[in-house]
Amino acid sequence: MDLGGYFTLIGFGPAGWGDQLLAAALMTLAVSASAFFASLAFGLVGAAAKLAPSALLRGLAEAYTTIFRGVPDLLVIYLFYFGGSQALSALGHLFGHAGFLGLNAFMVGTLAVGLVAGAYQTEVIRGAYFAIPPGEIEAARAVGMGRLLMLRRITGPRALRFALPGMGNVWQQVLKESALISVTGLAEILREIHIGAGSTHLPFDFYVTGFFLYLALTTLSGFLFRGAEAWTMRAERRPA
Amino acid sequence: MDLAFLIATMERLLAGVPLTLELSALSISTGAAIAVLFAVLRTSSRVGEWLVRAYVYMLRGTPLLLQIFLIYYGLAQFAAVRESLLWPFLREPFWCALLALTLNTAAYGSEIVRGGLQSVAQGAIDAGRAAGMSRLLLYRRIVLPLALRQALPAYGNEMIAMVKSTSLASIVTLMELSGIAYAVISETYRAFETFLCAGSIYLAINFLIARGIAWAEHRLNPHLRPAA
Amino acid sequence: MSTPAAISVRDLHKRFGANEVLKGVSLEAQAGEVIAIIGASGSGKSTLLRCISLLEVPDEGSVAIAGEAISLRTRRGRREPADRAQVNRIRASLGFVFQSFNLWAHMTVLENVIEAPVHVQRRPRREAIAEAEVILKKVGMVEKRHAYPAHLSGGQQQRAAIARALAMRPKALLFDEPTSALDPELVGEVLRVIRSLAEEGRTMLIVTHEMAFAAEVSDRAIFLDAGRIEEEGPPAQVLRDPSSERCRQFLLRYINR
Repeated sequence: MDLGGYFTLIGFGPAGWGDQLLAAALMTLAVSASAFFASLAFGLVGAAAKLAPSALLRGLAEAYTTIFRGVPDLLVIYLFYFGGSQALSALGHLFGHAGFLGLNAFMVGTLAVGLVAGAYQTEVIRGAYFAIPPGEIEAARAVGMGRLLMLRRITGPRALRFALPGMGNVWQQVLKESALISVTGLAEILREIHIGAGSTHLPFDFYVTGFFLYLALTTLSGFLFRGAEAWTMRAERRPA
Repeated sequence: MDLAFLIATMERLLAGVPLTLELSALSISTGAAIAVLFAVLRTSSRVGEWLVRAYVYMLRGTPLLLQIFLIYYGLAQFAAVRESLLWPFLREPFWCALLALTLNTAAYGSEIVRGGLQSVAQGAIDAGRAAGMSRLLLYRRIVLPLALRQALPAYGNEMIAMVKSTSLASIVTLMELSGIAYAVISETYRAFETFLCAGSIYLAINFLIARGIAWAEHRLNPHLRPAA
Repeated sequence: MSTPAAISVRDLHKRFGANEVLKGVSLEAQAGEVIAIIGASGSGKSTLLRCISLLEVPDEGSVAIAGEAISLRTRRGRREPADRAQVNRIRASLGFVFQSFNLWAHMTVLENVIEAPVHVQRRPRREAIAEAEVILKKVGMVEKRHAYPAHLSGGQQQRAAIARALAMRPKALLFDEPTSALDPELVGEVLRVIRSLAEEGRTMLIVTHEMAFAAEVSDRAIFLDAGRIEEEGPPAQVLRDPSSERCRQFLLRYINR
């Protein structure tokens, strides 16, 4: 493999794909972050539903997690890519909006990956909630904390400590799943790599580059999450 | 809900199930065998441990789809590959997808096996050594049986994940379940109904796997059931 | 030419990192002798037993079973057995009973007992099962032979473990604090079994905190302190009226518990 040629290829010069790859990497991060926050929202709703007294809510949440953890993400992406605009337009008609409402690739990616990851987040958040020692909740009630205050000062922070490792895993999942969004044409890393490979007839060079780009992103994420976990566990570390 | 359409779609989709199952079964079983080898390699030497850790790190840190593309499109770049004995296989999407799936599940599987091996109580190992068991006998009769029982639930999850992963083979033209689903959707634009049908089939397969694992767990763990 | 000692240990040294746990221990057990080993935690009693069975490799010193010395060598600065097959053969001729029983959880009591005879000693399965049932009857566990360890009490598990050790037709038995992990009311049944084995004339090394039992059952007692034998002699001496000051203090702590 011609190393010099390779670095020109991925560099930032006129012949280089460097700027496209950088833009693609930023797009990957952007859609992943967007999907991750969507998954947090879905996860919180799902977890709350699973803990609700209403059997209907619990059933719906159970259906949600079973379906979206059991069906391939690719199918969910197809659902939103092909059917999303239809559904949105239909919804719009309900509210009196005539004409077509479109879902762009970024939104498809966010919703599809967010919904699937949200199913896993539901379990993470639920597990974290149950991991909080019940005595700490009792103590909060004993000092007269209201539910909202308890959520803000006790339940939330304590659940975060237990949820963070699981959420770190979900983030890694989302980051890697963003590659699937390439089927919608979104200009993230895999799509850009694929285009480059086709246009230069150097598929290996490009795919290996993509390989190391993703590896860098997952490695960096790993460091950041482990740091955050260590911070949330600062009360549990033994004194030096 | 157009029942006729659902039935027709189901018929079309079911034709893709054999390929889905074939890809799943072959990759899971071969991957599991490699995973056990990796677990042994890991404990054998410093170099072995480093190699396995590097392998697991790289395969778990990158998307499976990229790994499939790397093998299917990327390897074709090299004349050496195109002229080799393996080319009849490496030019076929089936073998490329199978290879990528197997290598991927081997990485995740080796971590599960490692966890299982670590969970075996030191006392059980001590008793085996004290009875004069050779290392091979110890592994065969004590360590591996106990490790397997511990690893079974996690491996069940990995098997379900692999069945879902076979859907990526459709992106390199294989007409398994997701490939046919894509064809149906792009012809009829009825994404929701197709999703319903294809999704149900995947859920059914995964349900069967979960039941199978639960049954295996029950059979292998008479010592965890309440006393007769 | 006298028959070689059943167990012969000479000048054993064992370090764990910077901590030297055995500082030159020698002892000999003749065939049929029952030796009680007492001492505080950390004195090296378990390590001594584990070195005899080579579950730990001594850094210095030698171990010989029925006159056969276990050959050791130094490789890359570490001591290791020179002949794996010899080690396994010798281990199979010693019965080791652990403080935490260590029965194999995925096997029934009977399967635990016949495992080594069938797979290590290559005895026919039918013969091993027949012999196992006789032994299990002796320790009072024959009715529970198809039960799994998880369903048994501590006393039952330890008796099953003793049966497992006996099934190997051992030349000597090593007991590493066999009753320390048991609830007080279960200790008696295990001590009864050990006493009957002593009465049979077996060679036994028993590490224990049960002083009265040790005095009753043993022919000789050894007090281990900080990796050295501080007192050795007849049980009446070591366990009731020792000459070593440290041994006296240790016993006082036990009487005043």
